[in-house]
Amino acid sequence: MASVPSPQASEPPRRNVLSALTGRSVLIVLALAVGAALALNPMFSTPFPVVLGRSLFVAMVLLLAFSAARQWSPVWLPRWIAPQVLAVAVATPLATLVVYLLSVGGDFMAFARMPERVSGFVLISLTGLAVGLVVALGAMLRERDAQARSQALQFALERATLERQALDARFSLLQAQIEPHFLFNTLANVQALVESGSPRAPAVLQSLIDYLRAAMPKLQGEAPTLGNEEALVRAYLDLMLMRMPDRLHYDLQVDPALRGLRFPAMALLTLVENAVRHGVDPSEQGGHIEVGAEHDPVSGQVRVWVADTGVGMPETAVPGTGLNNLRQRLQAFFGVDAQLQMSEVAPHGVRAEILFTPSEA
Amino acid sequence: MSMLPTALIADDEPLLRERLASYLQRLWPELEVVAQARNGREAVELFDEHEPAVVFLDVHMPGMSGVEAARCIGRRAQLVFVTAYEQYAVQAFEQGAVDYLVKPFDEARLADTVQRLRERLQAAPGAGPAANGLESVVERLSAELRRQAGTRSWLQWIRASVGNTVRLIPVEQVVYLRSDEKYTLVVWEGGEALIRKTIRELADELDPERFVQVHRSVIVNLHQVAQVTRGLNETAEVQLKGRSEQLPVSRSYLHVFRQM
Repeated sequence: MASVPSPQASEPPRRNVLSALTGRSVLIVLALAVGAALALNPMFSTPFPVVLGRSLFVAMVLLLAFSAARQWSPVWLPRWIAPQVLAVAVATPLATLVVYLLSVGGDFMAFARMPERVSGFVLISLTGLAVGLVVALGAMLRERDAQARSQALQFALERATLERQALDARFSLLQAQIEPHFLFNTLANVQALVESGSPRAPAVLQSLIDYLRAAMPKLQGEAPTLGNEEALVRAYLDLMLMRMPDRLHYDLQVDPALRGLRFPAMALLTLVENAVRHGVDPSEQGGHIEVGAEHDPVSGQVRVWVADTGVGMPETAVPGTGLNNLRQRLQAFFGVDAQLQMSEVAPHGVRAEILFTPSEA
Repeated sequence: MSMLPTALIADDEPLLRERLASYLQRLWPELEVVAQARNGREAVELFDEHEPAVVFLDVHMPGMSGVEAARCIGRRAQLVFVTAYEQYAVQAFEQGAVDYLVKPFDEARLADTVQRLRERLQAAPGAGPAANGLESVVERLSAELRRQAGTRSWLQWIRASVGNTVRLIPVEQVVYLRSDEKYTLVVWEGGEALIRKTIRELADELDPERFVQVHRSVIVNLHQVAQVTRGLNETAEVQLKGRSEQLPVSRSYLHVFRQM
């Protein structure tokens, strides 16, 4: 699996000529050489073992030339000529010439004076050229095929991984919705308001209903927008304001022009809940939470932020699954350049910023 | 000593303090709520000031929690814990036979508690002994709260100045760290920055399951390693996922990759 990290010590890749020589290719070439020798034998006066030897030698040289040219791509070569084919074409007459020169002790003139040797040279060269080029082309096609297949497999694997991540993110979103601790504490407060006949009770109940409706697990529904998210965050912050009126202050400013923007459900709420739970709630003095969204006309990017003046983030605070999850969801939603950045607020507090280029509606 | 019993209510949520106070007034008119505290620290201060016979303590409060406050007050008062749906807390109270209320509580449940408190105060007037097992309950709850606070010892965030902001970089995004004269270069998925912490300090603070030192001046995130290539002379190079730069592995750190 691509996503499993497994660092392994490995030998450096050997970029040598022999790397392409597999047992299979050697066997195929040997068989072709024997076949060619058998076919040519009736036309030669020399004994069969000699013809076979020459044929085998030429075949092996061609195989080596083919393998060596695999890693060779000179700039002067036109693109439509495959280096391997060129190598085979050049190597065939050369290898045959070498075979014949060996048989006459290296004396070229001696070779040129014997017409039967010259015609043998031409015969072996032409046969070698014909068989060699056909085999080379076949091998290249097969290689290209295998490469395309492995690339297709790689793409399929990447797609499957992305799909799985998106599913995981969605699944955990469905699971971890409403914390019972939050719900019961909020209900206890609402109960206190109702019992005391407070005029605030109906508005607070409405906030709770809005929050619960938005936070209920949904598989399908209308496309979530930044405007929905803003309303959800406002309902949540109003509930928290009822619970900690002396410690929480908030300011929620989303540019109205951005309300129709597609935006992943619960993304902003995750950041605001974090700011309350880990920033403001642990502080005796409480703190201020600022939520905002604006569009930068120059870069075309949208910036959504949640800043608190709470206790700040200890360097050893384990980030909740919510944050990691959120980063993945943002990238699945807006593309890989969507970012989630966390920074410190002076003198204490945390600022979380989402940066993305809005997708076309 | 005053003949009328007194009480302290500690809860960070004002509506809930008021609700408890008004119920107590109805169910136990002679009990005087002498003070209300908004957190554990105030609860201990107000307890020392008023020395009430009964203390209602919310478990979850900012700063000092109700559990820590109970540790300070100890057996000097009758303690009643108040909590909202915290299964672990309820179990701890039941096993330690410590009085508790679960929010939102109803009148009947509070009436039971009031009844028990009255009996105990009558049996041992003044600051009676708290229920048996208070200490073990407090120990158990503090351990649970520490676990929930989620502070482990390993570094989870790296502070780095980028422009005029201090970025908080989650360590899982860090690719590698490399010392650069006085500073350390942090390279993460979203950029790079210099920090003041030394490689030696970072090697101690980062989770060794994920981060390993591969060279005197280099720490790498194992999750970001694509492969390790052995070189000459007992050294190696680390190739990173989706990055061109390579990191050196020196001879004395090569063992890190041997057993993998």
